[in-house]
Amino acid sequence: MDYYLSVATFAALHIILAVGLNLVMGFCGQVSLGHAAFYGIGAYASALLSVAGWSFPVAMLGGMLAAGALGIVTGLAALRFREDFLAIATMAIGFIFVGTARKLSWLGGEMGISKIPSPLSKHEYAWLAMAAALVLILFSLHVRRSWMGRAFSGVAQDEVQAQTIGIDIAGYKIAAFFLGTASAGFAGGLYAHMTQLIVPDAFGFVVSISILAMVVVGGVGSTLGVATGAVVLTLMPEVFRIINDYKLLVYGGLLLGVMMFSPQGLAGLLAQARAALRPRQEGV
Amino acid sequence: MYYLDLLVIGLVWGCTYAMMALGLTLVYGLLRILHVAQATVFTLGAYAGLLVANGTGSLALAFAAAIGAACLAGVVIYRWVYEPVLDKPPFVPLVASIGLLIAMEDGFRLVFGPYGLSFTNNPWFATMLGVAGIQINLVQAVLVITAVLSIGVLAWVASSTRLGVGLRATVTDPAMAESFGVNRVQVRTATFLVASALAGVSGLLVGMLNNLVEPGMGGLIAYKGLAIIVLGGLGSVSGTLLASILFGLIESFGTVMLDQVMDRDAVAFLFMLLMLLVRPQGLLGKAR
Amino acid sequence: MKTLFTRRLLIATAALACLGGQAQAQNIRIGFQAPLTGPAASDGKTALQGAQLAVEQINAAGGIKGRPLELVVLDDQTQPAQAVPIANKFIGDGIKAVISGSYSGPTRAAAGVFQEAKIPYISAYAIHPDIVRAGNYVFRTSFMGEVQGRAAAKLIADIMKKKRVTMVNVNNDFGQALSAGMKDAAPKLGLQLVSEYNFGMGDRQFGSIVASVKKDDPEVVYVSGYFFNGGPLVAQLRAGGVTAPIVGTEGFDTVNFVQIAKEAAEGVIITTSLDRDTTDPVMKKFIDDYKKRFNVGAEMVAASTHTAVNVLAEAIKKVGIDDTAKLRDAIAATKNMPSAAGTITFNNSREVYKAAQIQVIKGGEFKRFAVIDDPVLLAPPNY
Repeated sequence: MDYYLSVATFAALHIILAVGLNLVMGFCGQVSLGHAAFYGIGAYASALLSVAGWSFPVAMLGGMLAAGALGIVTGLAALRFREDFLAIATMAIGFIFVGTARKLSWLGGEMGISKIPSPLSKHEYAWLAMAAALVLILFSLHVRRSWMGRAFSGVAQDEVQAQTIGIDIAGYKIAAFFLGTASAGFAGGLYAHMTQLIVPDAFGFVVSISILAMVVVGGVGSTLGVATGAVVLTLMPEVFRIINDYKLLVYGGLLLGVMMFSPQGLAGLLAQARAALRPRQEGV
Repeated sequence: MYYLDLLVIGLVWGCTYAMMALGLTLVYGLLRILHVAQATVFTLGAYAGLLVANGTGSLALAFAAAIGAACLAGVVIYRWVYEPVLDKPPFVPLVASIGLLIAMEDGFRLVFGPYGLSFTNNPWFATMLGVAGIQINLVQAVLVITAVLSIGVLAWVASSTRLGVGLRATVTDPAMAESFGVNRVQVRTATFLVASALAGVSGLLVGMLNNLVEPGMGGLIAYKGLAIIVLGGLGSVSGTLLASILFGLIESFGTVMLDQVMDRDAVAFLFMLLMLLVRPQGLLGKAR
Repeated sequence: MKTLFTRRLLIATAALACLGGQAQAQNIRIGFQAPLTGPAASDGKTALQGAQLAVEQINAAGGIKGRPLELVVLDDQTQPAQAVPIANKFIGDGIKAVISGSYSGPTRAAAGVFQEAKIPYISAYAIHPDIVRAGNYVFRTSFMGEVQGRAAAKLIADIMKKKRVTMVNVNNDFGQALSAGMKDAAPKLGLQLVSEYNFGMGDRQFGSIVASVKKDDPEVVYVSGYFFNGGPLVAQLRAGGVTAPIVGTEGFDTVNFVQIAKEAAEGVIITTSLDRDTTDPVMKKFIDDYKKRFNVGAEMVAASTHTAVNVLAEAIKKVGIDDTAKLRDAIAATKNMPSAAGTITFNNSREVYKAAQIQVIKGGEFKRFAVIDDPVLLAPPNY
């Protein structure tokens, strides 16, 4: 039971991370290769607060704000960069975060932060994570359908056009970064308290790529697609332990395959399937 | 002496990065693709070279094998991975490239084992040269010379041969270039051949320098290579060179001076980030 | 005719299936956590081999009270984040005891999970102090990092009779624990720690560090790291003109180190728990058997996991595997058990005292240099 609970909780955490990254990438057309850094900042900030004696809600809030603050800074930097630059810049942020966390002793150095107090039970973490994931999904869907989302897509499609209609691109980009990164910070806080031990390596480039994979496999821009991608990629290694020795091979191959054959991911496949069915129905 | 030592080390590392980054900047300039999978070509060249060196005892054959394997891989990657997705949004070739890199790294581990392979005979590795009172390894010297030669040759090709002119034209204005009879596919293939050859040779040299060829050896160098071409100004060859040297120097000095604050990779990336905030187009890139 | 044949076939298949199921139920299953992928994959493979050899030998001798021992292996990818879910998987699958053949990071992460589930967990070679402090179900059959660091200090001060030391550490659990031990013992033994440099696990180029060591000109260079760092580092130190003796740690205890560093490996001294020139019959048997089975020289990592499996097997022989509390007590009561990695006796804090084997590389082979048997200096903590 514990094992399934643990998997479910991680799946929920990954949904939060993936949907958050989708807010940044899908809505604004910005590629982020460093999402794990925000996850990590949330984890470290909330862990430090908890270890120092602050209460769980305060620690979680601290984690979200720390991650969100860096998110805003990144968003501001994104204003100066275009797509390709931003991919590298976010990758750099990821490496800098891990490289610094590894060295500074007040961040625990290589050994990380251990003995983080755990105020909730395994069940409670699961419920909290799933509730948060649900809230984020609903919020993301709402944003998509609202005027803010239209503005987001406008920004993604053509910045110049959007600017002429008077949309405040800068504001929306920053908002997207904040939302996406603060939610990652929340996930980080949960992770830290759940496992009670965090090390710099848990938030490295490979993790950023894993989250990116969830977004890409699900379908960039589609909230539900991305959430599905997160669940599938979390469960896959658990279900296919047989392929464990070939795990990275399969993973990389999956990324490659999806890009080559269905760049819009699962959501794209679904949309294609729907389109194929529709004319027949109308004919009837 | 100490600082001179650090300087020389920085220059050697810079040249290593330059060979990787040159290839990356050529590909980016032509296709606007961040060729992360360059790391795969790098590692493949190293493995091919090592296997031939250990098998035949001939370094010349090893280099030939490295270049051959690398070029083949590079062209295959272009044809089968990049060409089909050229019309898609930019994240598609980037993610495909990353996927390929991850898969191949694991592939190397499965085929060649996780331990990493060493050279049975590595004469250059053991030979030291004294230059201006500094000891450097023969492999390091070869790295520098190869990098300088490659740059020189490329510069000559770019300015004086049909192929080079065609490449520059295609970068500036593909449609116009085609109307003038420049064969797009030829230019692209040539670009990948050159980029891959550079990667393959530097892979073998780095393998000799460490006396260790491992499945994951290409990854970090490729990521830093990307950071370098961004720092230099995407698409600018001279910018890339300048950035490569700078990177090498920053790492060399930063490793010992910022040791307590952040690790080596972080230092280099931080430098890049700070530079970009000040000058978003990169050192020698064109302002947007 | 056909139906009779089919029926017989079905019965036969069912019988076989039952037998097969029974065979499964017969096996004593123990968990084995190893980094089969990720940066530690090379050590993970060696660790698994050591454990496999132990299991094969135990089964060849009749298993545990007639039942064969079975290793259930899971890959933690050298990542603490992965170690937690697979720990839960072991528990969910009904595994009653687990051995970690992995590095400190993932072992530390999993230790808490096993402690809470009251599953005995033995760390074969991960050296971080916090691992065993997770609780009384966690054991360690190898040196703690700090103890090994202290042994190195004694080696340098009393046996090599040198004073000025420069430390070059890999900056992770392993390296930090070792340097902590060295720093702790150095002043007491009269050593002067001239300087300290760090590198990352993925580093292979150490130009700046070599230049700095040359500048510092120490009498001894103490290197903590794994063979894939140490090999290139040692080669580059020698190539850079550093002639001072180099003292390494068990991370170098592998053939790969010599293959990479080549001539530079000559004369490198390491602290480890495997003595190639041993006269101890159990250790010697392990070295010979490992060579025969895997066609490659034995290594500390393999010896450690071999030992851990045997410690666990002995305890299971005494009390069976069904009651984990009893099993825990049986493991804790292990006294003077000879093994591939030295004699095993757990103290009250579930750590072992072992003499430190000091080996030197001569002619490309590991040979005995010294043995440090100092129960006071090398005492594991008791808390």
